[in-house]
Amino acid sequence: MLAQVLVSSATAGAVYALIALGFVLIHKGTGVVHFGYGDQVMFGAYLVLIGRVMLGLSFWPATVCALLASALLGALIYGGFMWPLRNASLLARIIASLALGTVLREFVRAYMGPNAWPFPFLLSPTAVPVAGVLLVPANLAIIGVSFGVLGLLFLMFEKTIYGKAIIAACDNQIGAGIVGVRVSYVFLAIWILASVLATLAGILVAPLLTLSPDMGLIGIKGFTAAILGGFSSLTGAVLGGISLGILEALPGTYISSALKDMISYSILILVILIRPQGLMGALMIRKV
Amino acid sequence: MIARFLIYGVGIAAFLAAPHLFAEYHLFQFCLIAATALVVLGLVVVTGLAGQISLAQAAFVGLGGYGPAILATSWGVPLWAAIPLMALGVGAAGFVLGQMTLRISGHYLALATMAFTAIVQLSFIHSDPVTGGAAGMPVPPLRLLGVTLSNGGQLYYVILPTTVLLFVLVRNVLQSRFGRALTAIRQSETAAEAMGLNVLRYKAAAFASSGFLGAIGGALLSLLSTYLDPGQFGITQSVYFLAIAVVGGMTSPLGAVIGSAMFILIPDFLQSFQSYLGLVFALLLLGFIVLRPNGLAAMGPRLVEWVSHRHRVVRR
Amino acid sequence: MTQALLRIDDVGVRFGGIVALDGVSLEVARGSIRAVIGPNGAGKSTMLNVITGIYQADRGALIFEGEKINSRAPHMIAQMGIARTFQNTELFGEMSAIENVMVGLDRYLSYGLAGSMRHGGHFRRCETTARREAQALLSLVGLADDASIPAAALPFGKQRRLEIARALATRPKLLLLDEPAAGLRAAEVESLNTILLKLRAEQGLTIMVIDHVMALVMAISDRITVLNFGRKIAEGDPATVRQSPEVIRAYLGEKAAAHAIGS
Repeated sequence: MLAQVLVSSATAGAVYALIALGFVLIHKGTGVVHFGYGDQVMFGAYLVLIGRVMLGLSFWPATVCALLASALLGALIYGGFMWPLRNASLLARIIASLALGTVLREFVRAYMGPNAWPFPFLLSPTAVPVAGVLLVPANLAIIGVSFGVLGLLFLMFEKTIYGKAIIAACDNQIGAGIVGVRVSYVFLAIWILASVLATLAGILVAPLLTLSPDMGLIGIKGFTAAILGGFSSLTGAVLGGISLGILEALPGTYISSALKDMISYSILILVILIRPQGLMGALMIRKV
Repeated sequence: MIARFLIYGVGIAAFLAAPHLFAEYHLFQFCLIAATALVVLGLVVVTGLAGQISLAQAAFVGLGGYGPAILATSWGVPLWAAIPLMALGVGAAGFVLGQMTLRISGHYLALATMAFTAIVQLSFIHSDPVTGGAAGMPVPPLRLLGVTLSNGGQLYYVILPTTVLLFVLVRNVLQSRFGRALTAIRQSETAAEAMGLNVLRYKAAAFASSGFLGAIGGALLSLLSTYLDPGQFGITQSVYFLAIAVVGGMTSPLGAVIGSAMFILIPDFLQSFQSYLGLVFALLLLGFIVLRPNGLAAMGPRLVEWVSHRHRVVRR
Repeated sequence: MTQALLRIDDVGVRFGGIVALDGVSLEVARGSIRAVIGPNGAGKSTMLNVITGIYQADRGALIFEGEKINSRAPHMIAQMGIARTFQNTELFGEMSAIENVMVGLDRYLSYGLAGSMRHGGHFRRCETTARREAQALLSLVGLADDASIPAAALPFGKQRRLEIARALATRPKLLLLDEPAAGLRAAEVESLNTILLKLRAEQGLTIMVIDHVMALVMAISDRITVLNFGRKIAEGDPATVRQSPEVIRAYLGEKAAAHAIGS
């Protein structure tokens, strides 16, 4: 039933929106497409697991620690790798971001084992029929938290001076510097914010996917969502995420769910090939 | 001239002597290094020289393995024919894939090649009747001139010469106007176009080469492992080959050999730390791309210079 | 009447809302040197880029040796015999000077893929000949001793000359130079003038130069076309153009023009 499909797809869409937002933030800010971002999502969830298994914390304290640790990780990645490489070739930066993701993934595989771990849901995972549609409280929690966070971020960008500084630095580094915005601090803030977002997305999606080192492949979905939404605005990222959720769910339900992933990847290639320039903002003409 | 014949002579002698000096396990490793080096050579051409980032290599490797195996088991095509045929087919597919570079480059190209690899891997996993699905399929042994070559020691006589031949051919092409064209395109596509070079065709040809080499390497690797597991042909493996290219030196065929040797032999030194292998490789990649992006091959000449300089100083 | 080598017929180019060229027409006679000058933003580089196929003309025709080249790809136009240099040098930085020049010659080497795999006699002869010709071109522009130096390591003046040598390697019929004298010292401009005049005299090469440096423009041009705001405002031999009120107004403003007319 269509309504059912749309409701189920909203869950995936909400998570894709969060991840897409992280991608767009990092790209708008530092010009880097972070190919390791999906692995940061996975790593964020593992941080919670490490907190519980290694440090014996219960869920909520472990979550808080994980969020803090990922903020620190974001700062380390920016300071240790992205800032030093800011003038390196595009190829080197792409490979570096791939390498960072791979290090996180292999670290987890080595220390926590290659097998999947179960991850707790925020709310009950059993479906409840409401007005003829089956609703899952756990999924609603995911949707709720995602949109809550997105709403907070929009408020921050629109209303607070810090948010506006970030937008300014993203749009025009030199101009922002002239009016007193410390651009390198802004970029650091962007990386920290994006890393925390990644952990959040990881916590939300881990119960659905079960936690394994290869969970980071969801990053490609987030990237697809970001591209669908235009890759240049935060609103676009959110819309892209929701669209991808729906686009995936429709054939997935009516044709075959094994094809779901293939569909996302095919959408990705099609979108890249058919509208490459419109997706990164206006067509850029290089002066020769 | 004499030096060249001397090198050839020593090379051939070493090749023939090795099976008597090394255990079968080591011959197996030489074969692994050779086959991997072929795969990475494909990356050297397309990413190191032509400057086009490609994460499709694992897909080419998988196609090069599955194709001949399926042709052999389902259609009775002998492997010695199926392998080159499939490689040519994959090369053609690479040429088509390379047409994408007309519209995209950089991040988007990386992403599109990633998506390609993911789609190909999913095809392997979901085509159960043909590919054996997620469980994979066995690879029939290579039969050549009535002889069945099944272990490293026997495959050695096919894999090493094939590898050397392809390396010589590729190296020769790179030291000609075609190699100059690729290097020029990497450094300035605009200027290359202005010199009359059909940039799109060269980039597509680079992709075709990476496809062909990846498929041959993949076929040889499948002969060595005797089994095809679809999990081995994903984005992670593409990054693994990229890591070898970066560490070995992305702009020279020698780099492919050095990198492959390193990555294949390292597990031997980490005997008890097998589970940390992936982490070690990832850290190597990260370290090299940040600190020594030109890889080990580029450090060689500098080392020679440093050594000979000291020698000269002492002589005085 | 001999046909012009290059004819630009009412060509217009716009980028979104910006009109870069607004109906420009000109003809370049074979074996002549044409300078195109004008204030910054006049459309000079745009004209060069639309001739070489980097930009597409929205209207009008570009005709080279009687053939319309409007929608040809840049590499095809280069193969027809139009070579160019770039305002911001687009050298192959990591390649040596002689390798840069050889890339221009590569089109004329007659060995194919098979030949390059075998490295046989024919291959080696072609490469040796190419290297010799490349060295000769380097000598022509005064870079004979810099053959094996990476292009990015050369000083700015030499990089400019290397760009010219590289363009000449393609054996062009028409050479387009984009601000070749920019940043050069007076003595360097002098030697550049000598080189260009020699090319015209000895090879009958047709040259179109965009530049601001009057020491170059006035010394070598047969005719000068002046652009402003994407339109042609004057054309003629150097003496005429120098005194044209429109040109003075474009460069120096109303007062100077009135002064010139008055005197």
